[in-house]
Amino acid sequence: MEKYKYVIIGGGAAGVSAAETIRQTDKGGSLAVVSDEPHALYSRVMLSKPNFFLGKIPFDQVYLKGDDWYKENQIQFLGSKTAVSLDGTNKILSLSDGSQLEYEKLLVAIGVRVRTLNIPGADKQGIHYLRTLEDGKKIMEHIKTGKKAVTIGGGFISFEMIDLLKLAGLETTSILREAYFWEPILDEPSGLMIENALTKNGIKIIKQVEIAEVTGAETVDGVTLKDGTHLPCDLLMCGIGVVSPIDWIKQSGVATNKGILANEYLETNLPDVWTAGDIAEYKDLLLEENVQMGNWVNAKEQGRIAGLNMVGNDRHPFKFISFYTTQGLGITIAFVGDVAPGQDRIIIPRGSPAINSYARIIIVGQELVGATLINRTAEMSTISKLIENNTDISTHHADLADPNFDLKKLLG
Amino acid sequence: MSNIKEYVRQREGSNISKIVIDRDLCIGAASCLAVSGETYNLDNENKAVVIDADSVDDDTLIMSAESCPTKAILLFDKTGKQIFPK
Ligand SMILES: Cc1cc2nc3c(=O)[nH]c(=O)nc-3n(C[C@H](O)[C@H](O)[C@H](O)COP(=O)(O)OP(=O)(O)OC[C@H]3O[C@@H](n4cnc5c(N)ncnc54)[C@H](O)[C@@H]3O)c2cc1C
Ligand code: SF4
Repeated sequence: MEKYKYVIIGGGAAGVSAAETIRQTDKGGSLAVVSDEPHALYSRVMLSKPNFFLGKIPFDQVYLKGDDWYKENQIQFLGSKTAVSLDGTNKILSLSDGSQLEYEKLLVAIGVRVRTLNIPGADKQGIHYLRTLEDGKKIMEHIKTGKKAVTIGGGFISFEMIDLLKLAGLETTSILREAYFWEPILDEPSGLMIENALTKNGIKIIKQVEIAEVTGAETVDGVTLKDGTHLPCDLLMCGIGVVSPIDWIKQSGVATNKGILANEYLETNLPDVWTAGDIAEYKDLLLEENVQMGNWVNAKEQGRIAGLNMVGNDRHPFKFISFYTTQGLGITIAFVGDVAPGQDRIIIPRGSPAINSYARIIIVGQELVGATLINRTAEMSTISKLIENNTDISTHHADLADPNFDLKKLLG
Repeated sequence: MSNIKEYVRQREGSNISKIVIDRDLCIGAASCLAVSGETYNLDNENKAVVIDADSVDDDTLIMSAESCPTKAILLFDKTGKQIFPK
């Protein structure tokens, strides 16, 4: 059995950031990264971005690390192998090829996987999901011949893909189960701004419907909605959420909820087992609740903190105000901090859909906790500082509501 | 085709004298801000802009460029040689 001081499951943003951090501090400790994908670290975020997707930049730009990086840093990359079971008592990880690894410290950074359709016809060709490089390549190939696309889902994957399909010249219809995009994180006026941007670009939107069946022989030729409508299409793009791939690890006794549970140090309940990235459902010190995030900066930063904690004697808490941005079809959207809806929240509108610049400032008690920003991303970093500093804004509601008031003035 | 913005850096003792943001590549992931909020901000188009090219040391600046998931930040030394991405 091979033995490593550090074993990392998952070679994505979180896993590699942890490996890099460990290597900076512990030059000699043996280190292995297990990944069920064959690739060195690549940029998952680039998969849905126009310049990459439409081939405007060289394909290889997607790789963030070369194979040589792992060698130079004496990191054993165990690619195309899946971790299938964990014995947390004897500290042994079993892999899909039958091999076993003994570890001193383990990081579980396995990300999430796409939720797939579970309806008749879901196995036909021409149905796409987007998480991996292979998924991306398939779609890039398909858009060369595709003519009519249907997208399902009202989150960022669908939103970004609609933009790309449109840019690629496909006639596109967007189907949402919700009443508007990003319900319930955004409010309806924000949702309508997004919708306007879409319709202006010739996208057809059908809301509050679900798809009942995918039609076609071997390949998709359309979808039938629950209300009986049939929409012809040759490409079906699904962005219907994600699931945590944790079934295999539950029997080890590691505590899970939606993701793998961790405290603010990213430690799980098992000794010497940490978790980081999209899979981690951690105790957020700023929001004072358990959260699971899905963005690049968060994954990278958590990987770094987990790496530090795995090496050192000092325990570093993960303290970070999350932000997320997306753009397409002439509109920019940004989320910062805690944007989950809740009864205890006061929401101050800032700007308006009419001036095509609209933010919602979210307040709990005396403090700002988050914001959603449409075409106002420039305010994101100031808002993030106001959250971080626990600035008392109770006497500034009018200022916050004035779209021309400079928020930096509140920083003091 | 490139839509790039250059920022001159004059920090004393620094080897890096120019920061370039490729606005076509930048997707507003904001990793650079997370590493160095003193250096960058995002504008309303979700693109990174340099607000202070001199605020941080070379290591931090290199780290911020390395953190970018689309390699949109390029760093140049005094001789005009690109030092990141390598
Ligand atoms: C198309 C797309 C666009 C995105 N755009 C943005 C964006 O613009 N901005 C942003 O901030 N974020 C974006 N994100 C989100 C961002 O990419 C993720 O948050 C980030 O990649 C998470 O990193 P991670 O390391 O936690 O997980 P991952 O990158 O998913 O890495 C986990 C790895 O572990 C592997 N794995 C899983 N189970 C096992 C196992 N049992 N054994 C071995 N290996 C396993 C997985 O296959 C995967 O390779 C986007 C995501 C997608 C899919
Ligand atoms: S990290 Fe890169 S993509 Fe993200 S905002 Fe900075 S420059 Fe742009």
